[in-house]
Amino acid sequence: MRIGLSALLLLLFTFLQVPAADAATDAATCLSCHSTMEGAVNVNQEKYSKSVHGSFDCVTCHMTPKGDQHQGLTGTTPDRSVKEIAAKLAPKGLKDPIAMAACVGCHPDIYKAYLDSIHAKNIIVMKSSDGPVCTSCHGSPHYIVARPSMESKVYLFNIVTTCGACHEEKSMTEKYGFSPLVMERYLESFHGRKLKLGHAGAPSCASCHGAHDIMDVKDPKSPVGTVEAKKKTCGKCHPGATDKFVAAITHQPMHPIAHWTEIGLIVLTVSVFIFIITHVLLDIFSDIRNRLFRKGGNH
Amino acid sequence: MEKNIPQEIERFDISARIQHIIMFVTFLILSFTGWGLKYAYAQPSSAWIKVWGGAKMAGIIHRVAGITMLLDFIYHQFYLLNLWRKKDLRLTIIPMPKDVLDLVHNFLYFFGLRKDPPYFGKFSYLQKFDYWAVYWGMFIIGTSGFFLAFPVTVSVLFPNFTLGWIWDVVFTMHSDEALLAIVFILIIHFYNEHLRSEHFPMNWLWLTGKMSIDTLKHHHPAEYDYLYGKESERRKK
Repeated sequence: MRIGLSALLLLLFTFLQVPAADAATDAATCLSCHSTMEGAVNVNQEKYSKSVHGSFDCVTCHMTPKGDQHQGLTGTTPDRSVKEIAAKLAPKGLKDPIAMAACVGCHPDIYKAYLDSIHAKNIIVMKSSDGPVCTSCHGSPHYIVARPSMESKVYLFNIVTTCGACHEEKSMTEKYGFSPLVMERYLESFHGRKLKLGHAGAPSCASCHGAHDIMDVKDPKSPVGTVEAKKKTCGKCHPGATDKFVAAITHQPMHPIAHWTEIGLIVLTVSVFIFIITHVLLDIFSDIRNRLFRKGGNH
Repeated sequence: MEKNIPQEIERFDISARIQHIIMFVTFLILSFTGWGLKYAYAQPSSAWIKVWGGAKMAGIIHRVAGITMLLDFIYHQFYLLNLWRKKDLRLTIIPMPKDVLDLVHNFLYFFGLRKDPPYFGKFSYLQKFDYWAVYWGMFIIGTSGFFLAFPVTVSVLFPNFTLGWIWDVVFTMHSDEALLAIVFILIIHFYNEHLRSEHFPMNWLWLTGKMSIDTLKHHHPAEYDYLYGKESERRKK
């Protein structure tokens, strides 16, 4: 009797805690907990439903929900290719590599391009945790919005900040020998300024370097890898780009000649400024003096 | 009085006045559109550029205004040539050693160490500076602006060893010297021709081209004497 009651209570409890097993494939079920949870496991229901993936069930990507709290929930069975991809991404130390690998299910071409990239090679071949996976650049897949939106992390201007998250890092620039001022030099260039002001034709990082299949700039396959490649890439906006023209952009720190020219011009501007301010102020004082004390004296 | 002294004299003919109008209208447009790009990361810049129809349109306006200004400047050289051909050209705007003395004299006058202001000619040292500043600006800002507007065409002109820094230099020249020009105009020109108590709200000379004889006598005594003779000057006193 007692055992029977306990069993009944347990059954009832289970029913209350974990909804019917087959309901687990429903996003609403997951969100009933995850939309109110704090921290990394939180999913903002409203933003999720507005994202491009908003119509998906959670288990489309989170195929194997782990932990006791998910007991009784049915996931989906990842097929071999997803498991393989997840294993390849292991150096990245992801919390749910299967979910990351699941992107490939719908975006196989992008994955193929990504595999060629210096980013993917660093993770998969060099087994380094440096280098982006899908979410590093696109942000949480729960909130991905279509690209022509200021909300998107890969929207023209935002992509500069997104790339900068790693390429501006001192540890990264030293480890991989990037130009330490690549972001600063881009941002102060005409390209960066125009982009900031909303010029739709201004190039961001990916416009010249490529995106998913991005190559090392020393790789001849990179769109900026060789002079010939640069001429083609620059030529998209600057028809007839010459050898000398494409040499202009290096993202390297300013050359001393340019640096000292700038200093010289600033000194010139400041000196002229000081001189004319002094001149005008003295002129004003003498004008006042004349009017007060030398009435009509000069006229 | 042997010579008939008029109430006012024509200081700038109609051509010079039109050249000046084209110059300052394009100058203002260039300053307004360029400012947004120079300070692209300052808060109101994006909104300000939208006023000009967006970054692309602002760029087009800037280029058109820049070319117009350059043409105006080139026209001015022909205007001078024409004056010279008609033997009407006086070299009153050429900086002379006297201008340095005038500058020192003027400062002494400001500090009350000289009783009278300098004996200025048709153009004071500041006006000469103002005039030649345009040449400096045209040379530095005009050429660099031309380079920046046609980078592909111009790139072939640069020798190889300059390629690593020339565009930074060109960009700095354009942007910093433009700031210098704006600051200069905003302070000296605005004070002298707008804010100065005798001119406020502005010196109408830019429209009429005329200067009153009193002003001429007061601010450009050497020119007055040149035109009407020292004798009459002495007699008037």
